[in-house]
Amino acid sequence: MSRTESDAGARPNVQFRQVGKPLTRTDAPGKVTGRTPYAGDYVMPNTLHMRVLRADVASARLTRLDVSKARALKGVACVLTAADMPDRTSATDIPGQTGQKRLDTDQPILVKDRVRYFGEPLALIAAETRDIADHAAELIEFELEPIPGVYDPLEALKPGAALVYGADNIVAERKIRKGDIEAGFAEADLVIENTYKTPFQEHAFLEPEVGLAWVDENDVVNIRVSTQVIEHFRPIADAIGVPHNKVRVRGALVGGGFGGKEDLTVEVYLALLAKHTGRPVRLEYSREDSFVGHGKRHPFVLTYRTGVTNEGKITAMDVQMIADAGAYVFLSPYVVLYALVAAPGPYRVDNLNVFARAVATNNMYTSAFRGFGALQACAAYEQQMDEIAGTLGIDRLELRRRNFLKTGEPMSTGFVPPSAIWTEQCAEQAWAALGEPAPVQGPIRTGRGLACYQQSYGRLTFLHDTSEAWVGVEMDGTVVVRSGVTDIGAGQISALGQIAVEVLGVTLDNVVIYNSDSAVTPLAGTTTATRALYMTGNAAKQAAETLRARLVERAAREFGVEAGDVDMAFNEVFVIDRPEKTMPLVNLVRICAAEGIHRSELAIFRAPFGDFLDPETGQGQAHPDYAYGAHAVEVSVDVETGEVEVLKSIAAHDVGQCINPAAVEGQIQGGAQNGQGYALSEEMLYEEGRLVTPSFSEYLMPTAMDMPRVECIILESRSGVGPFGAKGIGEPAMTAVAPAIANAVADAIGVRVFEMPITPERVVRALQQRDAS
Amino acid sequence: MYAPFELDIPTDLPGALAALANGAGETVLPIAGGTNLIVDIRARRERPDRMVGLGEVDELKGMEFGPERIAIGGRTTVSDLLRAPEIAREAPALIDAARLFGGLMVRNTGTVAGNIASGSPAADLVPPLLTLDAELTLASANATRTMALDDYYLGYKEDARTPDELITRIAWPRLPANAVNSFYKLARRKGDAITVTGVAVTLAAADGRCTRARIALCSVAPVVFRARQAEALLEGRALTPALIDEAAAEAAAAARPIDDIRASADYRRHTALALTRRLVGQAWDRLA
Repeated sequence: MSRTESDAGARPNVQFRQVGKPLTRTDAPGKVTGRTPYAGDYVMPNTLHMRVLRADVASARLTRLDVSKARALKGVACVLTAADMPDRTSATDIPGQTGQKRLDTDQPILVKDRVRYFGEPLALIAAETRDIADHAAELIEFELEPIPGVYDPLEALKPGAALVYGADNIVAERKIRKGDIEAGFAEADLVIENTYKTPFQEHAFLEPEVGLAWVDENDVVNIRVSTQVIEHFRPIADAIGVPHNKVRVRGALVGGGFGGKEDLTVEVYLALLAKHTGRPVRLEYSREDSFVGHGKRHPFVLTYRTGVTNEGKITAMDVQMIADAGAYVFLSPYVVLYALVAAPGPYRVDNLNVFARAVATNNMYTSAFRGFGALQACAAYEQQMDEIAGTLGIDRLELRRRNFLKTGEPMSTGFVPPSAIWTEQCAEQAWAALGEPAPVQGPIRTGRGLACYQQSYGRLTFLHDTSEAWVGVEMDGTVVVRSGVTDIGAGQISALGQIAVEVLGVTLDNVVIYNSDSAVTPLAGTTTATRALYMTGNAAKQAAETLRARLVERAAREFGVEAGDVDMAFNEVFVIDRPEKTMPLVNLVRICAAEGIHRSELAIFRAPFGDFLDPETGQGQAHPDYAYGAHAVEVSVDVETGEVEVLKSIAAHDVGQCINPAAVEGQIQGGAQNGQGYALSEEMLYEEGRLVTPSFSEYLMPTAMDMPRVECIILESRSGVGPFGAKGIGEPAMTAVAPAIANAVADAIGVRVFEMPITPERVVRALQQRDAS
Repeated sequence: MYAPFELDIPTDLPGALAALANGAGETVLPIAGGTNLIVDIRARRERPDRMVGLGEVDELKGMEFGPERIAIGGRTTVSDLLRAPEIAREAPALIDAARLFGGLMVRNTGTVAGNIASGSPAADLVPPLLTLDAELTLASANATRTMALDDYYLGYKEDARTPDELITRIAWPRLPANAVNSFYKLARRKGDAITVTGVAVTLAAADGRCTRARIALCSVAPVVFRARQAEALLEGRALTPALIDEAAAEAAAAARPIDDIRASADYRRHTALALTRRLVGQAWDRLA
């Protein structure tokens, strides 16, 4: 790992004592020693075990559902079907978390009469043991009368297509109309048009969905669940018909999310059965349940038409995007919005048309996944940049240099990102780090690829996002942080600790963080959208700074100096440059306590609040800010078998400011793996909507044998809108990986595979087609 | 999760064979590593009434390295192969296959006999053993017989083993002095993946001629098979690129691949040819 700082955008006189250091994360010891309980580890006496019965076809009418035998089975406590709750639906849209009006996107909790996707839930079972619940599922009799479905979004747009949603299957439509597209193309010396396809992807978190629910003495439904979003307590309450304050979601440390635990998963089922039975209920998805039980990454078809001058300057860009939304809305409208905004990538395109649509099919519904539409756009625009460079005969990095969006320039929506744009620095460093090329041998060819990206961090500004954190100092000088933020494995809570102790001048081993309880920790919003550090980090910093100001003010009086002369570090309070004027923090805290000085603070951080983008032009502020960076790879390709091996994988990201560089590197390593699988080996195959790759023996993520050493180059512009100038790295780490690999494969074999994953067979076919023509 | 079944745990081979023998009217299955069987039982593809666990049967373990032949017990695990330096010398193709076989947990428990008896067309250990002229010992309570591995498979997931028999031993002759034995697994990722096309080759040479050729392929036909016509083209001749091409084409022509989620039949045929050509060519280069 290497880190680079530059004067550009860097703040002077920043000296950190805790931030920016690769400290052992607060969650690490418990995880390493196995003490950390995950949601599935919690037990309660008298618990019932649940099972979800699912439809085994994708498009059908439910003509018969008879649960009488299952209900009669000894040990079965409860079987629920839609008949037991005919009007119950659950929300699939996000803005409920921030008080914005929700779109009408509800999904029936259980199938009433119409099955729209393979795996749609038919019945919920609770029994004394998991085996009895499984047996009961086998006793449920149902008949599904097949209805012709539609399984391809392009087909779904045709007149006469089977209807899955509304009158035309169009779930969402977004536009950008910027500059003068005709004039831009007229100015071009060359117009290049290509269509790129990206696939479904499974989140494949280590920990499948799991939860435990019970009704407490206050008649509150408590749900201990593996989730990215504890604030689903509101839609859960709406779904089961109780007031919002009668549902409490308690998270646990999460074994991976990647967007797949952003929507509701098992919560509503648990809440319903806890309420119906009055007993604790537990539901744990098997891996196979998990494969069919949550939404996937949207496959996209993206057509890029780019006008360029002979010198490689982009004069116009027209982009058409179609995303497969699957059978229910979920986050599709926002995913295509992200794709729309990201369409030109980190490039200055003044004449821009983008048209992005999400189209319903009878495939599995699609929703949030790391990169959230912007990643699919990157997969296309970065391959298109290489196609342009190849056609013009311009070096690929040089072509990019001639078009990079620069700090202070307006992006696709006309918005000027407030932070530094260091795409060029990242691209140059990643490309240079590839070093000497590997030798070419026989049928093994090598090639190199580069991809740059723009990825937002923080949620859409029209959501009016807020986050809260509470920081307090105990009587012995130790620190407590409380915040509802969920930690999905990337060190979200440890970062809050590191921020709080930096401000309060203590060390990380002196902080304990309570998180992820919708009833008792201040609500912090979601751990999604690369927002946790930006939002909750800022809230924790604000709270700690307010608290620090009170402590310092009291210390200054004690020392007889101005507050500005007092500093706090390593659990001591002292006067700067006066070594004799010092006291342990604990002494100061005791003074404050004796005098009733408030030793804690609750802060709220508000992201910039905006309106929807203009519906006709797509102009406005979509997000608070953007992160930029690059990924470079070297691959070898066996031109006889089509096998691709990634030999070098180098990431360069401007993260603004590292809070914990080890955690940043962890995100980058994971992103490199996640993106490599997406590019090469991970494939979800649906046959008439039925998933035929529902386990890890068919769905192949890269293992250690497939991964090269990933080199992380971390740049710090200190210009971000997060705490201490931080940006975000959760999603950005993955965004550019797949197109970099695609570009390297094309470089190696001289022909492009326009559809991911780039399987050995697709490579061979591309070579055969080239040889035939 | 599992349908209920009885489980016998015999402590010696006669006990195991007796347990398998008394299966009138019930489905009795032997289980060693269980890396296929447990998955199948969980998915309700297999519904045994009774299983005979072989974990305590020590007679099925062990390796013998004789002057002319090598023999391993049926319960030898894939990891056992990887830990035996003599196997690496005497059956390099088996090591090529073992190194990429499943994941570590599967290698630690999955057995050689189990891989053979599963009858999967994608059984990775079988092509190497076929190119080594391996022979199986099948034992039941009443009799013991030996047969060439090459005669063992009768059709897709059909084999010569009767329900009361166990594969107790796998044996093969030591490779001749000037011989190359190798296996290539083509899959959708490097390890822990079901093979798309697998090719094993043994080539021996003397006086500039090929004295023995064995070519076996997996995942490209209903059964793992030897490409006998391709072998016949090579034996007794000095190999040339044209001859190797011809043999590779014969091997590919002998394949009867299907389209599945991993690859198309066309791609399998294409890679069966490419990999056979490559492995034979590489072997000949090393022998020359």
